[in-house]
Amino acid sequence: MNWQIPLLCGVVVFCGLAILAKDLIKAAIGLAVASVLLGILFFTMNAPYAGVFEISVVAGLITVLFMLTIALTKAEGEVRERRWVKIAFPLFFVAFIVIDVLVMKSLLSKVQVVASGAESGSFGDVLWKQRTFDLIGQLAVILAGVFAVLALFRKKDKHD
Amino acid sequence: MIDTWFLYLGFAAGLLFIGLYALLTMRNMIKLFIGFEVVSKGVSLALLGTGFAKNNILLAQSLVITFIVVEVSLVATALAIIVNVTRHTQSLDIRNLTKLKG
Repeated sequence: MNWQIPLLCGVVVFCGLAILAKDLIKAAIGLAVASVLLGILFFTMNAPYAGVFEISVVAGLITVLFMLTIALTKAEGEVRERRWVKIAFPLFFVAFIVIDVLVMKSLLSKVQVVASGAESGSFGDVLWKQRTFDLIGQLAVILAGVFAVLALFRKKDKHD
Repeated sequence: MIDTWFLYLGFAAGLLFIGLYALLTMRNMIKLFIGFEVVSKGVSLALLGTGFAKNNILLAQSLVITFIVVEVSLVATALAIIVNVTRHTQSLDIRNLTKLKG
């Protein structure tokens, strides 16, 4: 628990920097650092598999995809954002946190739907036996993504 | 126990706010997508935080892994669309897509 609060603060700070950074590469790196911190947080929450996925896939693969996109679209120049966006962000954020702290605790105490109870078995049992249909869904989503990217980068035929 | 849950959900709500703020105010398509990524981090944190606080960490972990796989597929597709749109409109500005209005 001691390490979790600084890690959570780090995730929020780096996500904020990713949003506010003018340079897109700095924004992508900020997002990657936030992902690494979130992955370490998952490790401290006894969720090593989720942590490994977060660090390897989100911090690694997605950052590479962002960098590639930034490199491919760099020639198009910068987009001017509105001026008030960066100035107003801290004000809105502080206002949101204050409302969040005031409202959320009373809301959470009313939630009784989520049952709490100790789980049995290993992570493999839960993933492969209880959530089998999730895995089929994952396979379908990956295939859909692959075909979508292939369709989007398809070269024109001579007849078109 | 509710204090731990409250802490995780509070930070997750903060991440959701940051992402939604970017989605509502930014014009650069890549920045918009970074905003979406921040929202998805908030969702992962909320899922795993709830699992941790309620002693259901294994189920929460498997749900987070499913979510990450869906997220990667979505990111690859969306970034490919951004590259194609940028080639057509010669700009990363989302406002150029208003030409798509019917």
